[in-house]
Amino acid sequence: MSSMKHDDTSVPEYWRSLDELADSDDFRTFVENEFPASADQMLTPASRRNFLKLMGASMALAGMTACRWPSEEILPFSERPEGFVPGTPRHFATAMQISGVASGVVVSSYDGRPVKIEGNELHPDSLGSTGLLAQASLLELYDPDRSDHVCRKGTDGVETSEWAAFDAFADEHFAAQAANGGRELRVLAGADGSPTLQRMRRHFAERFPAAAWVEYEAISRDNIRQGGRLAFGRDLRPHWALDHASVIVSFDDDFLAQHPNAVRYARDFVAGRKTDDDHHDAFNRLYVVEGCHTMTGSVADRRIPVDTHSIAAYVGCVAAHLFLEAGLQLPAGVGSLRQTLEGFRSHALYASIDASLIVDLMAHRGASLLAVGPGQPAEIHALVGVLNMALGNIGKTLTFTAESDANRPHHVDAIAGLVEEMQSGQVDTLVILEGNPLYDAPADLNFASALEKVGTVIRAGRYVDETSAVADWHLPLAHYLETWGDARGYRGTYSVTQPLIDPLRNGRSAIEILATLVGEATGGYDAVKSTFAQQIGDEAWRGALHDGLVRDSELATTQPGQLADGWVSSLSSFATAAEAGYRVVFLTDARVRDGRFANNGWLQEVPDSVTKLTWDNAALVGVATAKAIGVKHGQMLRVEHGGHSLELPVYILPGQAPETIGVALGYGRRHGGQIATDAGFDAYPLRTREAMAWAAVQVQPMAGSFKLATTQNHWAIDPIGTDTTEERVPILVHEIDIKDLHGGHDDHGEGGGGHGSHEVNLWQPHEYEGYKWGMTIDLNDCTGCNVCIVACQSENNIPVVGRDEVIRGREMHWIRVDRYFQGDADAPSISFQPVTCHHCENAPCEQVCPVAATVHDAEGLNVMVYNRCIGTRYCANNCPYKVRRFNYFNNHLDQSPMETMIYNPQVSKRSRGVMEKCTFCTQRIAAAKITAGNEDRKIRDGEVVPACAQACPTRAITFGDLNDEGSRVLAKQKDPRAYAMLEELNVRPRLRYLSRVRNPGHSEAGHGAGEA
Amino acid sequence: MSNQKSPLIFPPWLDAIRPVVGAVAFGVVPVYLVLLVWFGASPKTTDVGYQPEQPVPYSHAVHAGELGIDCRYCHSTVEESAHASIPPTSTCMNCHSAIHTESEKLEPVRASYESGLPVHWIRVHDLPDYAYFNHSAHVRRGVGCVSCHGRIDTMEVVQQDQPLSMGWCLDCHRNPAPNLRPLDKITDMTWKAGSEEEQRQLQESLGVEASEDCSTCHR
Repeated sequence: MSSMKHDDTSVPEYWRSLDELADSDDFRTFVENEFPASADQMLTPASRRNFLKLMGASMALAGMTACRWPSEEILPFSERPEGFVPGTPRHFATAMQISGVASGVVVSSYDGRPVKIEGNELHPDSLGSTGLLAQASLLELYDPDRSDHVCRKGTDGVETSEWAAFDAFADEHFAAQAANGGRELRVLAGADGSPTLQRMRRHFAERFPAAAWVEYEAISRDNIRQGGRLAFGRDLRPHWALDHASVIVSFDDDFLAQHPNAVRYARDFVAGRKTDDDHHDAFNRLYVVEGCHTMTGSVADRRIPVDTHSIAAYVGCVAAHLFLEAGLQLPAGVGSLRQTLEGFRSHALYASIDASLIVDLMAHRGASLLAVGPGQPAEIHALVGVLNMALGNIGKTLTFTAESDANRPHHVDAIAGLVEEMQSGQVDTLVILEGNPLYDAPADLNFASALEKVGTVIRAGRYVDETSAVADWHLPLAHYLETWGDARGYRGTYSVTQPLIDPLRNGRSAIEILATLVGEATGGYDAVKSTFAQQIGDEAWRGALHDGLVRDSELATTQPGQLADGWVSSLSSFATAAEAGYRVVFLTDARVRDGRFANNGWLQEVPDSVTKLTWDNAALVGVATAKAIGVKHGQMLRVEHGGHSLELPVYILPGQAPETIGVALGYGRRHGGQIATDAGFDAYPLRTREAMAWAAVQVQPMAGSFKLATTQNHWAIDPIGTDTTEERVPILVHEIDIKDLHGGHDDHGEGGGGHGSHEVNLWQPHEYEGYKWGMTIDLNDCTGCNVCIVACQSENNIPVVGRDEVIRGREMHWIRVDRYFQGDADAPSISFQPVTCHHCENAPCEQVCPVAATVHDAEGLNVMVYNRCIGTRYCANNCPYKVRRFNYFNNHLDQSPMETMIYNPQVSKRSRGVMEKCTFCTQRIAAAKITAGNEDRKIRDGEVVPACAQACPTRAITFGDLNDEGSRVLAKQKDPRAYAMLEELNVRPRLRYLSRVRNPGHSEAGHGAGEA
Repeated sequence: MSNQKSPLIFPPWLDAIRPVVGAVAFGVVPVYLVLLVWFGASPKTTDVGYQPEQPVPYSHAVHAGELGIDCRYCHSTVEESAHASIPPTSTCMNCHSAIHTESEKLEPVRASYESGLPVHWIRVHDLPDYAYFNHSAHVRRGVGCVSCHGRIDTMEVVQQDQPLSMGWCLDCHRNPAPNLRPLDKITDMTWKAGSEEEQRQLQESLGVEASEDCSTCHR
């Protein structure tokens, strides 16, 4: 340690006046750290004196800077836009597109920055709700990892460039391409339903007639389209009316999570499951036949685990039962099917087909719906199309529209064709719009080596990811909230997407980039407006911007046409028993999808519906399978297919079929942001052209283990604890069979009525005469999708804590969805229960706070006053529902100004050492009270909608004033199915649950769906 | 003293001054530290009398006092929003495009109007970020501007007139009647409250029930 030196230039005056405390470099570093953790290193053993000097100095100095209250500036507009009121949000309608399908959203914007995304009530696919990806898309807008400049690969490596440089290059380069008709030009893009992009593509085809546009999606639904081609000879898109279906059968279709129209279908699905007297007799029944335990399977009334690779055979057996035994008429045009189906009689699964499935389908013709997942082969889709036709569903629960891009090649074939051309040197220029083929193209195509043979690779993407890292040009793509565009909903609803903010990262939209290539000097706004004028008409423009859609712009349904039977003979290949051996099924994760959202912290931290895994994927293996392979939960497993191997941890998931190992795609990224590269294991190397849905694998247990971050099962529990848990779960989560629900009443006594505790109160109960806020969560409607968690996180400025903290149980979500298994370990059922703060009238947390930081207000809300909290955590200790979250760290430190733009200004940001919890969105209640007060009236029912309730696709959460006679929440709390969780504790919660109702029926024939 | 090296570290004369050292260490030093933090570390910006210098020498005494311009002409969103809001430059230019068009004092205003960039006003009345105050709720219920902001119409430079502390807010919330006025007198700086009975009647007619719940302001 150097002796103390005087250094006149850098020591501030203040120091010199105290006893010659000089600044050595060590000292300066020391003072900069708030915690002098490195003090020991700087001190020699003999300088206790120096240590005291340093400690004294830092304490005095550090305190001063922290206490200063900065003077704030107010910067009003120079010219305030008309109608702009500072401090109040403005709402703009736009739409978010994922793989060609748009969902309508309404975005709240404060002072020109979007802070919250909600559903668009006018949009038929949204009805006011949102999906998980739409809620979380806001975080991507403010992601500092998004690329913000054009990159160019020069001779010295990658260098920063500018749009002007690219424009100049493109001018010249594409003029040269146009000269030979674009013969060596290819575009690889994802699915895009934007009418303006389609128009640009036509101009592109005019300028480059010999060029090819290749569409590829890693998560493809093309098998469905292919099935339609086989069966009807046309490219058709199926549409469901689930609210008219009494029997819904899903063969490996996780439609509640994965379907492009999942939000709408979830709403329709639960519409057929109402238990009030008006609807009681029409309760639908959902069968799910699947290999992996999915969200849809959790909601099923009857779940039948069958290995994913055997589901094709299962469908064949079901068809055989229906046509050959049950007497279902074969429709015209597929007479040869009868012969082929005979082959299924000898299949092992034939005898074990669920008899009630057959009975129900026959009993509810015209009111059923059979669905097949996009991973199953096209022939099975065709077969199910035939089944739906035979059962009379077409025109009733199932309708079709014609796909606009008929005869487009299958995604996998398209990219394989492109790679072949690239390998043979036919491609000079490849433009990649958004997709990430170096990460998610089928592994056996070896896209990377093919790419080396391409002269110029231009990639437009939001991140410098695996593909951009090797491209010659990387162009930053703008976020949908930053640009003009348009999109179509699943049913064809035309939406204009308008920007909420100027591009934050110097990006351009795909439309604008394509315009540059085509040589048109048009901006996004002009292009979109011009398309709109052509297709809809100028006079509807303002209305479309206001509504977020063009009303009644859904595509007309079409009759599917005549059945063809050329494909029938290939069905027999499914009738032979599959080879024994494990298959890895490539799951689409609801959060990262194909990997494009991997850098989104909210999505990484929201738990998976069924596994409750965060931050990683794992090999999902059934209980018996794990034993057979010889692996434990968390143990590393090596999986090999086609010369590639993957090592990843095992997650033992009850309900997995015996030979099915589920692995989610979209993890294990190598580039693309700090969060993306930290999460999970890349399953794409196992995925080959012939094995896009599942791959036959060799498995081998490895020695190591991996700590999986799950939000349930935080701490291992001993066998006694497990037994007690099993005993208690039915008390927490009430489920009832519909046959026991007579006239809406639950005779078993477990479900119902909310009798209220008979305990004596220690305090005089408070009379709530004003507003009396209450909430109900209908477990019958909850599908476990977890969108409420992300909506709450977005609304309330809840931080992301990261994997290590989740392992310690410190995730910050104010609402969580608990998941319980029940029944046989090989085929259990799953129940979901969202849990928020119950706002107990007799709150145990309020009684123990030493500083009265958590108090009760006159309307029944349990209020959390952050600035008073000193962090004793006694309240969390006392909470029986364990809904209180503690800020162990200052999670909002070190954020760039752009990252801080995402915060909702109506909610405080919490610092380290402060407890937080669900507030029933007190900021929304306050806003409604002020608005209502200013208008001299009371708050109407439905005016206050907490973030979770607003996002929920099935409207499972209801909130309102219990003192309002006509409020929906009061009606729900009076429902016979209503109960309070842990009622016996006498905490008098304001949150009630409504029992889940299942309709499994009986295995013997005689009871159809919906009968009590 | 002897020249031998003493085994003791402290010289004997320290014993004599020990009482003085004690008094300083336990008396003066703590008082000094407390005063140091109180005056040195507590912010000036939330004190009564805080009067920062503004980029433009705008005088409320002239505009609101002499000329009688209503508060809401400039602070136009006070009845709709949580913020009363500082007016945009265009509001100033409503008059000053014709009045005092060459004045040096108005140079920053003209520059702002021309460039489209804002004037950097310094905030006078500030609350902590975790306390959410809503102007419209107060102004629409009969709380006058002068109750919290003082006699702005006599201030050449705006200064903070009231403590704006939570205790001060609660004083009114616990007994709002003395601070209420008819809705047409909100911006009247000289209106005085009536008798206790009149105050009580006024409160009833305005329907004011000032909440003391924490959730009113703390979100």
